[in-house]
Amino acid sequence: MTISIWRYSHLTLAISSFVFIIIASVTGIVLAFEPISNQLKPFAIQNANTITLAETITSLKKEYEEVVSLKVDENNFLEASVITKNGQSHTFYVNPVTGKKIGDLIERASIYKWTTNLHRSLFLKSTGRFLVGFFSFLLFLITITGSILIIKRQGGIIQFFTKVVKEDFKQYYHVILGRYTLIPIIIITLTGVFLSLEKFSVLPETKISHNVDFSKTFAGKKLSFEDFDTFKSIYLKELKSLEFPFSDDEEDYFFLKLNNKELYIHQYSGEIISEQNLPWIRIVSNWSLFLHTGRGTILWSLILMFSSFSILFFVYSGFAMTIERRKKSTLPKNKINKDKAEFIILVGSETGSTFGFSIALYKALINAKKSVFIDHLNNYTSYKSANHLIVLTATYGEGDPPNNATNFLKLASKIEQPNLINYSVVGFGSMAYSDYCQFAIEVDAILNEHSKYKPVLPLFKINNQSFTDFKEWCIQWSKQIEIPLHLKQEVIKPKKQHAFTVVNKTDLNIDASFLVRLKPAKKLKFISGDLLSITPKEDTIERLYSIGKINNDILLSIKKHEYGICSNYLNQLQKNDMLNATITPNTSFHFPKKSTGVILIANGTGIAPFLGMIDANYKYIKTHLFWGGRTTESVELYSKQIYKAYDNKQLSSIHIAYSQEQKEKIYVQDLVSKEQDIIASVLKNNGTIMICGSIAMMNDVLKVLETISISKLNTPLNLQQIKTDCY
Amino acid sequence: MIKKIISIFIIIFTITAFTIVENSKYKCMIQMKNYTGEGAYVVISLLNPEGEYEKTLYVQGDDEEWYHDITNWWNFHGKVRSDIDAITGATISGGNRVISIIEIPNDKINKGYKIRFESAVEDQEYYKDDVEFELTSESVKSKTEGKGFIRYVRMIPQ
Repeated sequence: MTISIWRYSHLTLAISSFVFIIIASVTGIVLAFEPISNQLKPFAIQNANTITLAETITSLKKEYEEVVSLKVDENNFLEASVITKNGQSHTFYVNPVTGKKIGDLIERASIYKWTTNLHRSLFLKSTGRFLVGFFSFLLFLITITGSILIIKRQGGIIQFFTKVVKEDFKQYYHVILGRYTLIPIIIITLTGVFLSLEKFSVLPETKISHNVDFSKTFAGKKLSFEDFDTFKSIYLKELKSLEFPFSDDEEDYFFLKLNNKELYIHQYSGEIISEQNLPWIRIVSNWSLFLHTGRGTILWSLILMFSSFSILFFVYSGFAMTIERRKKSTLPKNKINKDKAEFIILVGSETGSTFGFSIALYKALINAKKSVFIDHLNNYTSYKSANHLIVLTATYGEGDPPNNATNFLKLASKIEQPNLINYSVVGFGSMAYSDYCQFAIEVDAILNEHSKYKPVLPLFKINNQSFTDFKEWCIQWSKQIEIPLHLKQEVIKPKKQHAFTVVNKTDLNIDASFLVRLKPAKKLKFISGDLLSITPKEDTIERLYSIGKINNDILLSIKKHEYGICSNYLNQLQKNDMLNATITPNTSFHFPKKSTGVILIANGTGIAPFLGMIDANYKYIKTHLFWGGRTTESVELYSKQIYKAYDNKQLSSIHIAYSQEQKEKIYVQDLVSKEQDIIASVLKNNGTIMICGSIAMMNDVLKVLETISISKLNTPLNLQQIKTDCY
Repeated sequence: MIKKIISIFIIIFTITAFTIVENSKYKCMIQMKNYTGEGAYVVISLLNPEGEYEKTLYVQGDDEEWYHDITNWWNFHGKVRSDIDAITGATISGGNRVISIIEIPNDKINKGYKIRFESAVEDQEYYKDDVEFELTSESVKSKTEGKGFIRYVRMIPQ
């Protein structure tokens, strides 16, 4: 329950203020350039903590007829307003030691003036200032609710900075950037609010009043002002401004402003005639201005700029996530009442991905002419005609229920069911979390204890939303309940398809395998190891094939399965036939651009991407190929290319295992085990090992590699060096 | 021949020297009241005896976008648009004071010409004659109280 409140507020606040936030961030980015470009100018006071005010005044007095005022501006430049020896009045930057002019005042570029106006008041004067202050406060609240969401997600305050599980680009960086920019954004928003408030006289009165008694006339010796003790004891780093006496009149005084106080100084005696500390609110105000604008420091300006960019990214990624979630989370409209349905599907999902699976099951049951009712877990109630209950649920954070399932456990123990119901629980989760499918486990347990529930299948867990696993569960379940079900994956977004022409297709070899060569109709960017996804019309399920790229064509190696819809479809293709498919980049399975050595391990049709990689190995990176097939005939499909590459030195060695040629079966992992020295040397020199083929083979190979690494190199296998693409 | 040229130059020089009216510099301090809000725009202008704007002497406030808020002066300056970059300073916040050097032609003193200080603050009032007085040899070294955002103005010849 709590999670949804925070998420809801986070989103509501974002929706209500994003336009202003975008304006403020974009203008903020522009404004961040100003202090940076100013700081790059050579006017800043050096050694401000060793130069006294008296020294500076002395040199200025020598240099000019009269000094009117002296000011350290927000860039830490010393600005003097003087009357020169020839009677001209000027204001410019001066060197505090020599008193000489070092530059003209920087005129604010009109782009900054314009942007500042937009940034702080949207050109609406007071109304605008109020709005900006208000939305700044909302952004502060968004930041706070966002932090709470991170805390919930990571499972506690202490875990705030622990590793974030990467599920999706937008989500991942929303969290990561959110943590990095949390403090700067809190500072930006609060100082922004403060600076806006300042203009509305809601803050306590901050005017300083000096009381000076000039009734007594000065009788002592007039001191020259460069000899004043006060000026000697003040360093430039404390100085804000100094106004010289307006005239010789005794009642005119030096008006000195320091970072924390204001002083009146008698122009004859040099005594302090009035001293007032700045009220705290004025000091807070100065700090706010500094922190909000980044004046005078390049580093902080850069941090502010980075934070502004991040805010724009948050707006984008936040809305993108919300829209995706909305799309996924809609359940189909029930056609029948909950008390009439024989099958009840209950869904628990935080981010919405589980809904897709639930809908697939719902449709499959409808197609099987069953009466089905689908609902959120939180709406759990009694079901009069129910015979089967299927719960599909994800887990949130550390074993917490997703936000539409928070009340389920309580409801389940309270609500009585009229009939005995068969149930099955499917848990969705990621093995990357320590509490894998924890909530599903709890749901399963509570139903198990319930007197009116009988399990059909034990709890079934699905990792990373694998549709194949879900189908597996469906097969088991439909066997148990004796209803044949045909599950179709919900195609969420049809990717853009490209057209390909069949250049060549070989006949089936002894293992029912064949090669297809496809030419893209248009120029496409891809490399060996990327995936070609083909979705046959018959079942709309996407199949992925690893691509071998040869002369800009796609080479696929396919094994025909007797009932395989896609492999049969591909097998009946003729030369010049057209085919639609999508290329999916698979950067984690690309041949390294630079390497001390590469080992390619494949079995069966898994060799296809390697054929392309070897063909493109013009850098002659030392490459060793290990391949496992059934018979000597099996390799003939590929042998021409492999041996040509060997002759061209694109391959350094070839190792082939035949499982059916001799009495005892030899597999590719046995060859790997035999060539320990090659493996160990590649591992040791930080080379790469790539594995493509069946998962069973991959697991066996990994075991062998681990053994070699430990026995030869005394270290566990470094998985960073291994790239796999197995199925 | 050379003598002739020199004498012509001398004549030209003496004529121009007497026709160019000398300017005098005055130090001018504007002390603001303790009002709250944005920094004030203060414009110092020279008015002829008929009360019409003659010349802009100084502008405190450098963001031209707000100049039209100083209505009366803007009616004059907005049309003329003379270059005032050299006589422009920053706005003055409540309670603060600022000292600037202004130049007034000598032939405008004791001739019925006036000096006007008008002030405006964002979202607050506009005072078209916050401080205004006739320029006399006495008044240019005096102190004059203001009616609006300005507490007083002090001037002394430089």
